[in-house]
Amino acid sequence: MFLDTMETLCCLGGVSGGEDEVRDYILERAMPFADEIKTDPMGNLMIFKKGAVTPAVRVMLCAHMDEVGLIVTDITSDGYLRFDQAGGIDRRVLIGKQVYVGQDRVPGVVGSKAVHLTTAEQRKTLPAMSEMYIDIGAESREEACASVSVGDLVAFDDRVVRFGDGFIKAKAIDDRAGCATMVELLESELPCDCWFAFTVQEEVGARGATIAARSVEPDVALILETTTAADIPGTEGADRVCQLGKGVVIPFMDRGTIYNRELFRLLGRLADENGIAWQTKTRIAGGTDGSSVQRSGAGVRVAALSVPVRNIHSPACVARIDECEAQYNLARLFLEEMAK
Amino acid sequence: MELVGLTKRLCGLSGPSGFEQPVRAWIAEYLEPFADEIGTDPLGNMIAVKRCGKPGAKLVLLDAHMDEIGFIVTGAEKGFLSFGMLGGVDQRMLPAREVRVLTEPPLFGVIDTMPPHVLSEEEKSRAIDPNKLFIDVGLCQEEAEKAVPAGTPVVYAASCEELGHGKLCGKALDDRACAAIIIKAFEMLSGRDLNVDLCCLVSTQEEVGHRGAKVAAWGLEPDIALVVDVTHGKTPDAQNVPCSCGKGAAIGIGPNINSALSKELFALAEARGIAHQPKAEPGGNSGTNAEAIQISREGVATALISLPLKYMHTPVEMVSLEDMTAIVELLTAYVEGLEV
Repeated sequence: MFLDTMETLCCLGGVSGGEDEVRDYILERAMPFADEIKTDPMGNLMIFKKGAVTPAVRVMLCAHMDEVGLIVTDITSDGYLRFDQAGGIDRRVLIGKQVYVGQDRVPGVVGSKAVHLTTAEQRKTLPAMSEMYIDIGAESREEACASVSVGDLVAFDDRVVRFGDGFIKAKAIDDRAGCATMVELLESELPCDCWFAFTVQEEVGARGATIAARSVEPDVALILETTTAADIPGTEGADRVCQLGKGVVIPFMDRGTIYNRELFRLLGRLADENGIAWQTKTRIAGGTDGSSVQRSGAGVRVAALSVPVRNIHSPACVARIDECEAQYNLARLFLEEMAK
Repeated sequence: MELVGLTKRLCGLSGPSGFEQPVRAWIAEYLEPFADEIGTDPLGNMIAVKRCGKPGAKLVLLDAHMDEIGFIVTGAEKGFLSFGMLGGVDQRMLPAREVRVLTEPPLFGVIDTMPPHVLSEEEKSRAIDPNKLFIDVGLCQEEAEKAVPAGTPVVYAASCEELGHGKLCGKALDDRACAAIIIKAFEMLSGRDLNVDLCCLVSTQEEVGHRGAKVAAWGLEPDIALVVDVTHGKTPDAQNVPCSCGKGAAIGIGPNINSALSKELFALAEARGIAHQPKAEPGGNSGTNAEAIQISREGVATALISLPLKYMHTPVEMVSLEDMTAIVELLTAYVEGLEV
């Protein structure tokens, strides 16, 4: 069930600033189980569900609905689309990829002159993003404008593949994995009252979480995220950051947040006691909605659980299914602990 | 089968240079009802012949190649597969790329890429050395060694789909789009009263040096050969190439092409109102099978008709369906008009 939910979520389009499809889906799933539902002008979705007990502290789980993608900035006279990134994208993963433009999902590809036509130097370097373009097959601006517009959001190819020994490939595992954990929790009996914040615009600066946290005013927040794994041959030691197969990541710090030490220890202890493999990151890299939530209002105690993901922020994110499920299991144990 | 369906079906097959068997088998089965003879040779070429039954009839050869560029597994390291290239792969296409490892049954894989945070600014703007890239099939070392022996071929895990504005987009359109063209032309001509014997040669190993066509031409001894291959189409970053997608069949002119034949094709295209454009081929080698066929035995009158294609040797190659139809028309009109 968890996997079906996650796969469905990964297929939905939700580039930062255009999270509607994801929000609509989650809302439909959560509606029968929610005790209170709030939205706000940016599009965050905040859902309250009562549990077995009402703890002394207000608990919030948080995952972001948005994904990295592109935005159309110009349409050329010969029908090609110029673009910029919405969220941080390594342009090395863009060339020659299939994309979908706008709400009507117009298919296109990120073009680049054929290797035969490049100089030896060009073959080894990458064009700047401003020199790249999307080809939707149109031969003129007029043809292109019949189906796309400047400002259209562009999402990566959305095929999900399960492969190897329990692996999954999809776009937007960052952070539909966290969204899936929260949707599944929402549909289950909860040990304690809990707010679920599905946020917008994390990828462009944890912006949605800033106002979602003000609205919920939690005392404790657990961020359900994904994090970059560089565990491929040629990368050794700490440079790997984290490794698939070593368990869910409990971070102590990243570039935006020094996580609450007691909560960090609590999560590690819960994992150990319940035989859930976990690791922490060996590089201070990345960031989460935790940075916004932690400094919201008079301050919030914040922890995070992240699924290790290879090729994060690309059309071909790779994760282990058991580590996505481990995030769910550990989040649930966390709520049980909050109920005490 | 319609031209579009035929092309999509052919591109979906996996057949990198030297490993074309599935493609040959499919085409042989498809052409069987239309041919008098179906055969192959030591290099695996697919040869279909239709006899006109007239004494002294000349043999006209239609050629397009069936192989596609790809990769070949060279070993496994920590469960990840190292690989070499089959044909002219564009190394810039590789990061976060999905591939099909051609084991029985095939395995899905992703070429993993190093995340940007462990790279210097200099490294981020350079293409990654393919020797530092690996295919992730989601297996441990022991399983990977067992499942994927060295020498296993690999292709891009892409298909071919219709794009807006009459375009087809996907992998292996070089040269399966042209294979579809000559197969269609052969199918159409097989029901007509011809004055020549007609051979449909779908050749192997073009991408590694026109090897299949070289031996097939020797074995078949054609009088006339019409080679159909792709040529670069204009893109925003390649404005100086002469041909454009959507402007019709590109008829070759130059030392690699029989000039009388070339003139006949131009005259025929003019007379029949078939969209066409000239393509000057300055060298003795047009970079196609025409090079090998023209100097086979004591020489063959060889023409080259090219299909403009954008993003050659990528998984998102693009062609115009109108151009394909124009070439089918030109080939059939030419063969039908030949005298005894």
